[in-house]
Amino acid sequence: MTMTETTTAETFPRTDIAALARDVVKIYGRGDTAVRALDGATLSIPAGRFTAVMGPSGSGKSTLMHALAGLDTVDGGQVLVGDTDLGRLNERQRTLLRREHVGFVFQSFNLVPTLTAAENIVLPLTLAGRRADQAWIDEIVAMLGLADRLRHRPAELSGGQQQRVAVARALAARPRIIFADEPTGNLDSRSGEAVLGFLRHAAHELGQTIVMVTHDANAAAYADQVAFLADGRVAGELRDPEVADILARMARLGEREK
Amino acid sequence: MIPMWRLIVRNTAARRGRLALTLFAVLMGVTFVTGSLVLTDTSQRLLDAQFRTATAGVDLTVRDAAAFDSAMGVEVERDPLPAEVVDRVRAVPGVAAATPVVRGQGLIAFGGKTIIPSGPSLLLSWEPDPVGAFTLRAGRAPDAEGEVVVDAATARRHGIGLGSEVTVRAERTERLRVVGLAGFGSGDGLPETTVALVSLPAAQRLLALGGDSSEVAVVAADGADVQRLRSAVSAAIGAGYDVSSSRDVAASSAAAAKTQISYLRVMLFALAAAALLVGAFLIANTFSIVVTQRTRELAVLRAAGATGAQVMRSVLGEALLVGLAASAAGAGAGVACAAGLRDLAGLFGMTLPDGGLVVTPRTLVVAFAVGVGVTVLSALGPARRAASVAPVEAMRRSSAEDVSGRARWGRTVAGAVLTALGAAGLSMVLAGPGSVGMLGAAAVCAVVGLALLGPAVTPALTRLLGRPLGVAGVPGRLARESAARAPRRTSATALALAFGLALVSFTTVMGASIRDSTARSYTEVITADYVVESARNEMLGGLPAHAYHHVSELPQVAVASRLRYGHWKDGRSTEALTAVDPVTLPRVTSLHMIEGRLDAIADGGIVLAADVARQRNLKIGDTLAMTFSRTGVQRLPVVGLLRDRDAQALSTSYIIALDTFEKNFREHVDASVFVKVADGVSGADARKAIEGVLTDSPTAQVRDQAAAVAARTGMVDEVIGLVTALLMLTVLIALMGITNTLALSIVERTREIGLLRAVGMTGAQTRWMIRGEAVLVAALAIVTGVGLGVAFAAGTVTALGRTTEATLTLPVGPLLLVVGVAAAAGLLAGLLPARRAARLDVLTAIATS
Repeated sequence: MTMTETTTAETFPRTDIAALARDVVKIYGRGDTAVRALDGATLSIPAGRFTAVMGPSGSGKSTLMHALAGLDTVDGGQVLVGDTDLGRLNERQRTLLRREHVGFVFQSFNLVPTLTAAENIVLPLTLAGRRADQAWIDEIVAMLGLADRLRHRPAELSGGQQQRVAVARALAARPRIIFADEPTGNLDSRSGEAVLGFLRHAAHELGQTIVMVTHDANAAAYADQVAFLADGRVAGELRDPEVADILARMARLGEREK
Repeated sequence: MIPMWRLIVRNTAARRGRLALTLFAVLMGVTFVTGSLVLTDTSQRLLDAQFRTATAGVDLTVRDAAAFDSAMGVEVERDPLPAEVVDRVRAVPGVAAATPVVRGQGLIAFGGKTIIPSGPSLLLSWEPDPVGAFTLRAGRAPDAEGEVVVDAATARRHGIGLGSEVTVRAERTERLRVVGLAGFGSGDGLPETTVALVSLPAAQRLLALGGDSSEVAVVAADGADVQRLRSAVSAAIGAGYDVSSSRDVAASSAAAAKTQISYLRVMLFALAAAALLVGAFLIANTFSIVVTQRTRELAVLRAAGATGAQVMRSVLGEALLVGLAASAAGAGAGVACAAGLRDLAGLFGMTLPDGGLVVTPRTLVVAFAVGVGVTVLSALGPARRAASVAPVEAMRRSSAEDVSGRARWGRTVAGAVLTALGAAGLSMVLAGPGSVGMLGAAAVCAVVGLALLGPAVTPALTRLLGRPLGVAGVPGRLARESAARAPRRTSATALALAFGLALVSFTTVMGASIRDSTARSYTEVITADYVVESARNEMLGGLPAHAYHHVSELPQVAVASRLRYGHWKDGRSTEALTAVDPVTLPRVTSLHMIEGRLDAIADGGIVLAADVARQRNLKIGDTLAMTFSRTGVQRLPVVGLLRDRDAQALSTSYIIALDTFEKNFREHVDASVFVKVADGVSGADARKAIEGVLTDSPTAQVRDQAAAVAARTGMVDEVIGLVTALLMLTVLIALMGITNTLALSIVERTREIGLLRAVGMTGAQTRWMIRGEAVLVAALAIVTGVGLGVAFAAGTVTALGRTTEATLTLPVGPLLLVVGVAAAAGLLAGLLPARRAARLDVLTAIATS
C-alpha cells in the first residue's frame, strides 16, 4: 500500500504539525455510481513550511485540500487543524474556523469586485469584526509591493497584482494555515514566479504554514516538500524537491495508473 | 425553422425558474384585464336580460313625455298618466290590450324590522303574464285588498312565508298578508332588490296616485304592425305622452344601469394598465439579465453560424412562449377572479348583479393580445442586445462580472432633459399658471425621464441612501456596492416599485386632500345642529318628503330647511343642481354671496357658483338655458353668484328654489333636512324628538355635523380604499421584481458569494447582505415613488384649487404606513434570494467558472 519513499509523514515531529488528515475517506455519489475521491488518505502538514500537493487529475488532491480547509466534510477518518477536530464542527463553526485560522488563495476570482484592494486584504478580519494589526498589514503590503495599489478595485489590477492581493489577504489574519489552489494557474510565468516567491518567503521568513495544490512541477519546486496523491491516497512525498525529480515521480504515478 | 423552435422551447423550459416570476407578473396583469372584462360583460348581459325580461310580453310602452330618459345612471321620474289616457289607448284599432301599470318605491318590513336592500325597494302593481314579468313560484296572485306577493329571494333571505304579515311603506303604509312568492325570469328576484307586488288599486293607494298609473303597457293585436301602431297611439293621445317600443325602453333602462358599470370598467382598466406597466419593467429587466448571463452561449450560437436576426428571434420566441403561457393562465385566473372582483367592489359599496359568467371571444383576444404584446415588446430591447453579441465573446472570459449595464450618454441626456421638463411643468402648476393637462404631460415626462436617467444617477443615489448600511459592517457595504454596480438593473427594479408606490401615495394624498377640503367647507358653511339624511346614500338623497314635514312641525325645532338634487342637461352633458328654500336656508348655513341675493331665486332665478359663472361667461341678468326631463328647455335668469366653497358644501354649482324645482321635476325625495334646535331645548332632547317622528321613514338618519361630514368623507374613503387595494397589486408585482432580480443576480454572483463564504462570511451575514440589498432597492423606490406621488398630488390639488375648494393635506400617518409597508415588503422580497445565497454550497460556488 505505502510505497517506500525517501520520506514519510511520520518523520516530522508531532508538535510541529499544523494540520493533519488521517485515513480520510470521501465518497461522491451512491451505489454503483459511487466514487471514492479519497480512500484512506493520510497527510500531515508541517507548521511553518511550504507544502505542495500534486497528483494526476482525479487523484483527490483538491478534495483533500477542501477537507483540510474545512470547506467540505469527510465520510471517514479524521481531519485536524491545530488541535481542532473538524469532524466535530457544524457548518457555522467551520465557517468561523476558516475565518480565524485558515487563509485561501484561489486560482481565479479571488477578490470581491466591489471592494478596493485594501478592503479585500482585511476582508476576513472585518467579517469577524476584528481590528487589523496595521503594522503587520503594512509589512505584508510592502513585502508584496502593493503599497501604491491599495485604493484600486480588482478590475483595475493585473492578474499578478490580483493574486498578490489574495496572498496579502490570506496572510493578513495570521492564519494557522494558508491553502493555495493552483494560485498561478491563470498567470504568465513571470507573475507566477513572483507569487510563488512570496509564498515561499512567507513560509521561511514569517513562519507561515502554506499548502499549495498544483499540477505544475515548476510551481511545486518552490515548496519545501511535495506530497503526491494517486487514487485518493498519499502515494509518497519528496523533500526539497527539484523539478526533474518531481517530473519523474509524476511520470511514474501516471504509469501506475495504467 | 423547426430546429430553431425546438431550441427556443428547450431554452425556455431550462430557464423556467428564472422566468417563473416574469410569467407571474404578466399573468397577474392579464388576470386583471380578463377579470374586469368578464365582470363588466357579465353585469351588462345580466342587466340587458333583466330589462328585456321585464318587458318581454309588451309591444309598446306609453309614458309621460320626458326630454331625456336618464341622467348619471338614474332614470328620471315621470308624471303619472290619468285613467282617461288608458281608455284612449284602448280605443286605438290594433291594440289588443292596454294595461295600466304602477311602479314605485315601497319598503317591506317584516317582524318589526324594515328590510333595506343596497339596491331599490320596488312596489309594483301585479299583472299576470304577458304584461307582468314576475311569475308565481308559490301561492296565488294578490287579488283582494290587503294582499301582497313578495319576490322569492327576499322571502327566503328574511324568512317570509305564505301567510306572513308584512308592512309595506310607500306614500302610505299598510299591513299586508303574503299570499304568493314570485320569481323573475329564471331567477328568484332582482339583485340587491326587494319587490312587493300588489293589486293595481292597492298600488295606486299606497303610492297616492288616485286613479293614475305610471305607464300603460300595450299589447298589439295579432298581425298588427308595431311601428304603425306606435304612430297611431301617439296620434291618439298627443305629444304630451311618449310612446316607445318596449324593446327601446328596455335598452334605454339597461343603458342607464350600465353607466355605473362603465365607470368601474374604466377604473379597473386604468389599474390593469398600471399593473402591466410595472410588469413590463420587470420583464425587460429579467430578459436583459438573462441575455447578459447567456452572452457566452449566444456567442457560441453566433460562432456556429446563427445570424443576429436568428438570435433575436430566439430571444423573442422565448418571450412569446412566456407571454402565451402567462396569457393562458391569466385568462383562466381572470375568469376565476371575476366573481372575487365583484365581491371586492361590493365590499366598497358597489352593487353588481350576480349570475353566470360571460366569457366572450373578445375577452380572450384582448387577454392574449395584452399578455403576449406586453411580454414581447418588453423583451425587444434585450433581444436586440442579444443579437449584437459578437461571436468572439465566446472566447472571452465570463463577462457577467462587469457587464451589468452602464449608463449610456445619449440616454442620460434625454432622461435629464425630460425629467427637467417634468419638474418645470410641475413647478409651473404649483406656482400658478399651469393646468391639470399640463400636469399630466409633466407626469409622463418625469416618469419617462426618470426611467432613462435612472442608470446614471442610481450609483450615487444608492450609495447616499445606503450610507446607514455601511454601519452594519462588511455585509451592509457589500449590499450597497452590489446595488450600485449594476445601475441599470437596480434602477429598473426600483422604478417599477417606485411607480406603484407613486400611484399609491398619489391616491392617498389626493384622498386626504379631497376629504379634508370637503369636511372643511361643509363644517364652515353648514351651521345646522342636525342633518336628517337617508342612510342609503342614493344619488338624489332618497329621503321621503314627509320626513321634512314631521320634523319642521316639532316644537323642539326652531327651523328646518331641506335640500333636493336634480339632474339637467346642458347640450349633451349632464349636470346636477341643488334646490333650496331661500327663506330658511340662511338660518341653517352661513353662505357668502359674492354678488346678488339668494332670496332672489324665489322668483324662478338661479344662483351660480362664482367659478362656473366665470367659465360660462355669465353675469347677473343673463339667462342660462337648462334642459329638464319634465319640462324641456327652460331659461333661468342668473340672480346671484355664490362663493365656490359654499356651493361645494351644497354639493352643486347651480342653486334654484324648491318652487322652481317642483315645476320642473317629478322627483320628490329630499337629500338633506337641516335642523336648527329651538332655544332652550337641549341637543339630546331635540334629537330624541326628531328620531321619534322619523319612525315611519326607516332609512332616515339624524346626524350631527360630525356624522354628516363622516357620511360624505366615507364615500371618498370607500373609493380610495378600493383603488388602493387594487393598486397594491402593482406594488406586489414590483416586489416580485426585486425578488426576481436578486435571485438572478445571485446566480451571477455565485463565485463572489462562494469566495466570501470561503474566507469566513457566515450564513447569517450572507443573508443580511442580500436582504440589505433588497431593502436598499425598496428604499430607492420609496424615495422616488413617494416623492413623485406627493409632488404630483400637490400639483393636482393646486390646479383643482383654482376651480373648486381644495387644499393640500399631507396624511403623514398613512404615508408613513406606505413607507413602512414598502420597506418591510422589500425585506420580505429579499428573504428567498437571501436564503438561497446562504445555502449556496461553498465548493460548488468556488468551482463555478
